[in-house]
Amino acid sequence: MREHEIYARWLAAGTRIAFAVLLATFLVYMLGLLEPLVSPRELARLWALPADKFVAATGAPTGWRWLGFLGKGDYLNFIGVAALASISIVCYARMIPTLPKLQARLAAIQVAVLLVAAVL
Amino acid sequence: MEWWIWPIALFVATFAMGIVAVLAGVGGGVLFVPIVSAFFPFHLDFVRAAGLMVALTSALSAAPTLLSNGLANLRLAMPLALVGSITSIVGALVGLALPTQAVQVALGLAILAIALVMWRSGRSEHPHVRRPDALSSALGMHGVYHDPALGREVGWQVHRTPLGLVVFGAIGVLAGLFGLGAGWANVPALNLLMGAPLKLSVGTSGFILSVVDTSAAWVYLNRGAVLPIVVVPSLLGVMLGARVGARLLPRTPAHIVKRLVLAVLVLAGARSLLKGFGI
Repeated sequence: MREHEIYARWLAAGTRIAFAVLLATFLVYMLGLLEPLVSPRELARLWALPADKFVAATGAPTGWRWLGFLGKGDYLNFIGVAALASISIVCYARMIPTLPKLQARLAAIQVAVLLVAAVL
Repeated sequence: MEWWIWPIALFVATFAMGIVAVLAGVGGGVLFVPIVSAFFPFHLDFVRAAGLMVALTSALSAAPTLLSNGLANLRLAMPLALVGSITSIVGALVGLALPTQAVQVALGLAILAIALVMWRSGRSEHPHVRRPDALSSALGMHGVYHDPALGREVGWQVHRTPLGLVVFGAIGVLAGLFGLGAGWANVPALNLLMGAPLKLSVGTSGFILSVVDTSAAWVYLNRGAVLPIVVVPSLLGVMLGARVGARLLPRTPAHIVKRLVLAVLVLAGARSLLKGFGI
């Protein structure tokens, strides 16, 4: 079916790109090419805290505020993470015009649900 | 201990998990959270977020081939993924709001239950569906796929769709709450409950997982629960391990590996329970 082919093609390309970005940015982080918000040594003291306490202790960004921290080595990695979490949204949206009416509605609702999750 | 030992240890552990997961026919996501939360120093919030990313990336990587081969079906997956993705948001929000010890105890119980499901659940290659239900017919949840082992086209249809939607809703809550990959539950639900052929169930399960885990992953990401130093070595380890596992698969006795996985899950579940009770 045409929708399967389209979804598969976009998914394969998207996953490859997102994974490559994630690896490249992690290399930047680990090589210390960009100063991180939380140094790895400091991180090792704090990673046993719950997420809310970690955020309070480090000033780490929540929501989409990480976009303002892309100059930091650790948060640069969020480009790849967010890309991986966005692929399904893009693939569903791309597939909608190829689907019959009922399935197109389901796909549109699915896109809306994933977008809500992305901004919650 | 020096900080850099932990990401390296994580890579080694997840590499082994990736191999074992393929050999035992389970998703790497179901092993990740129990083992890493039991034996590594990271808080459960960060482990669950990384677990979702591991399960999500594994599912995303496999889905294109499964879709192209017709072994994952969008019409079968879409309604179930929609329900699961809504409830996984709820599960993730609840999981991040509950006290850690309560989640740890619930996780221990869930892991022990998963081990039981894996041990007891049967499988049916081509379940007999006498008549599709009205909802599955309306949603177009039927079709034909090519089975390379049989060398012919296999027709399929499903039944008990309303109950299937409820079950996938519950699976979504568990996925969001615990950050677990849910193939262990998706496959029996599709195969034994709804009557989809086994191969189609396995392929479609991976697709559903990629959507359900996406919505939960966003919740964890937005709450600051994603640490790249935990996520990236884990992704690399599981994905490289899965490649090695796929090569070892033809000459490894699957039933022995599966018993090993069950033993590890029971151990990790018991450890999680003890941690939850502060022991």
